Amino acid sequence: MARTGSADVDAAATRERHWVTGRLATLCLASVALTAVAGLVQVSFGTYSMTVVEAWRALLDPAVLFRTDVWAAFLLGGDLPPMERRHLVVWNIRLPRVLVGIAAGATLAVSGAVFQAVTRNELASPFVLGVSSGAGFAVLATLVLFSGLAPFLPLFAALGGAAAFVLVYAIAWKGGTTPVRLVLAGIVVSMIFHSLQQGLFYLADDLGAVQSAIAWTTGSLTGADWEQVRVVLLPGTAAVGLSLLGARQLNLLLLGERTAKSLGMRVETVRFGMAAVAILAASTAIAVAGIVSFVGLVVPHIVRTIVGSDYRRLMVGCVFAGPALMVAADVLARLALAPIQVPVGVVTGLIGGPYFLYLMRRRQGMGDL
Amino acid sequence: MAESKNQKRERITDSSGVEVQSALVGEDLALQYPESEEPVVECARLDIPEGAVTALVGPNGSGKSTLLKALSDQLAPAEGQVTLDGRAVDSYGATELAQRLGVLAQERESPGSITVEDLAFHGRYPHRSFFESVGPEDHEAVEHALELAGVEHLRDAELSQLSGGQQQLAWIAMVLAQETDVLLLDEPTTFLDLHNQFTVLERIRRLNEREGVTVAVVLHDISQAARFADYLVALRDGRLYDWGPPTDVVTEQLLADVFGVEATVRYEPELQVLPKRALAEDTP
Repeated sequence: MARTGSADVDAAATRERHWVTGRLATLCLASVALTAVAGLVQVSFGTYSMTVVEAWRALLDPAVLFRTDVWAAFLLGGDLPPMERRHLVVWNIRLPRVLVGIAAGATLAVSGAVFQAVTRNELASPFVLGVSSGAGFAVLATLVLFSGLAPFLPLFAALGGAAAFVLVYAIAWKGGTTPVRLVLAGIVVSMIFHSLQQGLFYLADDLGAVQSAIAWTTGSLTGADWEQVRVVLLPGTAAVGLSLLGARQLNLLLLGERTAKSLGMRVETVRFGMAAVAILAASTAIAVAGIVSFVGLVVPHIVRTIVGSDYRRLMVGCVFAGPALMVAADVLARLALAPIQVPVGVVTGLIGGPYFLYLMRRRQGMGDL
Repeated sequence: MAESKNQKRERITDSSGVEVQSALVGEDLALQYPESEEPVVECARLDIPEGAVTALVGPNGSGKSTLLKALSDQLAPAEGQVTLDGRAVDSYGATELAQRLGVLAQERESPGSITVEDLAFHGRYPHRSFFESVGPEDHEAVEHALELAGVEHLRDAELSQLSGGQQQLAWIAMVLAQETDVLLLDEPTTFLDLHNQFTVLERIRRLNEREGVTVAVVLHDISQAARFADYLVALRDGRLYDWGPPTDVVTEQLLADVFGVEATVRYEPELQVLPKRALAEDTP
């Protein structure tokens, strides 16, 4: 009797351990493949063109790959030791752009997924909830008015994003809130911050700053180098890690406030903490890539239709699918109209907008998660 | 008249006169919501006897669900206090309370694609710390809960594919996995067809008999409650009208006063309520 009991438990244990499903594995592998291919295209082509094989060789060259002084220069800053031209182009100009794209894609996707659970709102994303525009305003103000504080960009972005989020919630709150009211409040707050951003342009000293600021408000990876990688590395890793750890809490939040409470969850604390993580994630992306629209909204949707609404799977899927979308979109942004580059936000908007429309047409009663 | 009877009765006794221990006690309760001006429920003393099934009955809006919220510390009483095993419920930590007291709310939300088993594992939440992964006790508890609720065969089914009754049983499996001594269920049989109503009630009964779990359950149907529960608590307009074993509580007078129906009550061979017609609103 006892033996069969423990056998049952073992069987159950095996089942439970396998929350990683085939569909999730497939999604992750496909995303990795897409990211790798897009990244390889990105490092191979451009004004200084080389074949894919040459780029691949340069990328895997042990002379760079295993040199600590090079990595120190990349990751800690400082002077880069002299290198071959091809290596310089691959390693110092094109690769960081891919890496920043990966980081921004992952953090935006994760941020959107967390916001959707915290607000129990399928339409939520950093963009819709005003976090993007708040963070954007803070970054722009820093760049235009206090350019010396640039290394602290993610911090300022997070503060701006948090302020906007609190404002949106305060406006939408009326003894509780609904998806539609949150979205409307988000639009209002976004418009205000957008105006403030526009106003800032007139305070900028030179035209170059204005142009880069405009590119930046659309979301652009142009000119991303190792400095941006350094900026994004710590806060990005922390935000993604915390989101993955919080997946179980988010799952419980999806069961509704009353159930979560009755199971002993301190709902307000968890909700607030996870919102903070999502703001950090979005702000990190915004600090290095500007306001890239729709990634935070669309990636969790795509992943959800493939792996289901279990956040353990959803989060992992987002960490892989976000970068794939972002890096692929950036290839289009950089190379499709060569030699003209468009901001990557234009491409994600053009992909994400219609996809979202399609979702709205296909599904009834969208909004509540 | 009935209310003065309650004031006097401070302790309950079973049929042989032995005093019954109460798992949950509400004393001098006045319950109200932030938006309401007057208390919704006022009640001098309410007992949920240990190891028994207590049914809370009354018409819509009589305060049954409100009372249940107060008992589970989801609504802080404006006056009075609720004690669980002799300790005020609000003095328990959130996790500590969830380890002893399980609640199944009436209105619930769920992502449709969650499986029955995953839902049951959520019941283990208060037994796991933030970083702790699922352990053997969790698996045992979940297996046991699925079996008790009778949904083992549905474990991999997604909630949205199930009938209302099966969903209800899945949720019951979740609170069972919580492994609490006390269980509060808010209208678990409402909106179910007759077969599923009885299935749910029988499973609850079985749980009480096998595990000695204290159950307080809000029920809509007085005749069902009368046959199913060890104790009845009848509420009218936020006041406790009467409480005790069904044979004492269920009378034709109660049905007229509380439910506004004229009915015949038979006590032999077993308690049976036969409602006949609705009484006019202003009948005393």
